[in-house]
Amino acid sequence: MIVVYPIGKLVYNSFFDIDKTGAYIGFVHYVDVWQDPQFWNATKNTLLITLITVPGALIAGLALALLANLPFKRKWPVRLSLLLPWALPLSFAGLIFAWFFNTDYGVVNDVFQRVGLIDESVSWLLKPNWAFAAICLTVIWKTSSFMALILLAGLQMIPRSLYEAAEVDGASRWQQFWQITIPMLMPSIIVALIFRTITALQTFDIPYTMTRGGPGESTETLAMLIHKYTIDYSDIGYGSTLAVFMFLISLAVTGFYLHHIGKNAS
Amino acid sequence: MNKNWVLKLGAAALTAPLLAGASWAQQTTLRVFVGPNQRPDLQAKLFEQYTKANPNVKVEIETGGATSELQRQYLSTVLNAKDSAIDLFMIDIVNPAQYASKGWIEPLDKYVGGAASLRNDYLPVYQQANIVDGKVMALPSQGDSMFMYYRKDLLAKHGIAEPKTWDELSAAAKKITAAENNPNLQGLSLQGAPIEGAVCTFLLPYWGQGKQFNDAAGKLTLDKSAAVNGLKMWLKMMDDGVVKKNIAEVTTPVTVNEFKAGNVVFAINWGFAFDRFKDDADSKVKNNVGVIPLPAMNGGKSATCMGGWQWAMNAFGKNKDAAGNLIKFLSSKEASAFVAREGSILPVYQSLYSDPAVIKAVPWFKDALPVVLGAQSRPMVEDYGQVSDIIRTTTSAVLARTKTPEAGVDEIAARVSRLMR
Repeated sequence: MIVVYPIGKLVYNSFFDIDKTGAYIGFVHYVDVWQDPQFWNATKNTLLITLITVPGALIAGLALALLANLPFKRKWPVRLSLLLPWALPLSFAGLIFAWFFNTDYGVVNDVFQRVGLIDESVSWLLKPNWAFAAICLTVIWKTSSFMALILLAGLQMIPRSLYEAAEVDGASRWQQFWQITIPMLMPSIIVALIFRTITALQTFDIPYTMTRGGPGESTETLAMLIHKYTIDYSDIGYGSTLAVFMFLISLAVTGFYLHHIGKNAS
Repeated sequence: MNKNWVLKLGAAALTAPLLAGASWAQQTTLRVFVGPNQRPDLQAKLFEQYTKANPNVKVEIETGGATSELQRQYLSTVLNAKDSAIDLFMIDIVNPAQYASKGWIEPLDKYVGGAASLRNDYLPVYQQANIVDGKVMALPSQGDSMFMYYRKDLLAKHGIAEPKTWDELSAAAKKITAAENNPNLQGLSLQGAPIEGAVCTFLLPYWGQGKQFNDAAGKLTLDKSAAVNGLKMWLKMMDDGVVKKNIAEVTTPVTVNEFKAGNVVFAINWGFAFDRFKDDADSKVKNNVGVIPLPAMNGGKSATCMGGWQWAMNAFGKNKDAAGNLIKFLSSKEASAFVAREGSILPVYQSLYSDPAVIKAVPWFKDALPVVLGAQSRPMVEDYGQVSDIIRTTTSAVLARTKTPEAGVDEIAARVSRLMR
């Protein structure tokens, strides 16, 4: 009931002109969405963010997990630094990084000017490509710790005896990483990828707080477009149709992963 | 113990809860939403005055949403759900038509005596904004308008008169910033971030050329060449170093803080900002703030953007009669005079601009009437949320130089014309 009702209501709403006449209009919203350049722009941005930040967070998360798994005498400082970004609210992370990239007060301009990389302050968040890169960097920073926590749990499940046997056989650290760590970690990696990909497809808070989708609509994601229609414009019917599209995309991606997990398991 | 006395006590014990219940039943609790920028502290004092005279009414304040957009988002969510939890709320001047079209707000005619009652002393722009299809949909409470603030000390120091045109302002700003040789000093601060203020940034130079965005029927009448001229004027000011290069990041609070810190010669902002410049502990410009109408375009006239807040009643509310009485009090001349005196909030009644008590408390209001009488409202249309989003996003993109003024205006025309046919 908890799952079926909201999804059913969403699909139901998408067939009505809720904010104007309230009448049933069939597939009109679906045709409109298909022809809406804002939808395609937001979908492109969402997929790009997913394609960049999911592998980015995986690599950064794996590095952090390997670091946290080292035999430190005191493990808590490393684990705390892993937990902190994960515990921060998304919008808070967005606000912090918006300040980092601020033209007038941002630490990024300050550091780059000190090391001589730039001569004068750059308005990073007012240039579409740089704004996009800044958002991706923030998302990777925010989400890599979540990846690291899952991967760290996976790493700790790998028996030490495997590494000891490999060492006896003369395997280098690099060979141990590729022949033991990665294959043994694969189930954790796939679980982390599924979670991260689904949340990446729903990216909202960080671009909303950093750029509000700007400059123009160059960093607007699908979740932001849905928010815009349903909340700013109160156009529930069209917003619901956009949400149905997002749901279908999420479903397709999850299906793809599950198919591969199935293969992996077999 | 006397038997009679015991009986009396027993009867009293039995009837007390019933009597208390009866008086409790007569008590009406009204929940009122006031945004943080609409001075909930002053509103609380008004509610106190009201409940003192009407002890059967209790008023609870709810506040939230720092900006007009955020408040609109919150109220849209509540009203879309037909929630009755809030009885009264404040809405921006651009919202009555939008909320009325969705059936979210209750017509107030039966409580205030019809549309004719609004055609009295209220500023004309509020009469226009709050009557939708002949019905009173909201009542004005707090006035607001965009003004040009300037540093009196700097203009006096460099022997410069108050500018009447944008060209004069630009020349004055260049002269002062060059002479002061302070790298932190900007010529003009205005709002270029994709917020509601950017809608006015687009409209000010456009209206200043005598052009209208829409006709009386709400149909788009955008003059593309005038709109391009307006945007080009801001870009030229950016090229000339009058306006800073990252103006597309600047929001209303940023302008307030920059001016307060003494880093701006001229600043465009709403009426509320004067109080912040004058009274805030960290203001470095306390006694040096001048206020003038916005400059005119060459060959045009001064034009400014009207804001302000109106009381509206939830159409799904359960205490409409009590809410109707409270709303009448909140939009009375006495209430408007009170918030004007106590909070330097522009009155919604014309006569209060010459009221001795108001002028004594806020002397600059005596010069504000011509400005607010000439102020224009942003398009009052059903789909204002969408119209505003298109204008502010595109204006900000042009100011960020990711779109040319021509492309930006074409985009605004194409997208808004579908909504304002």
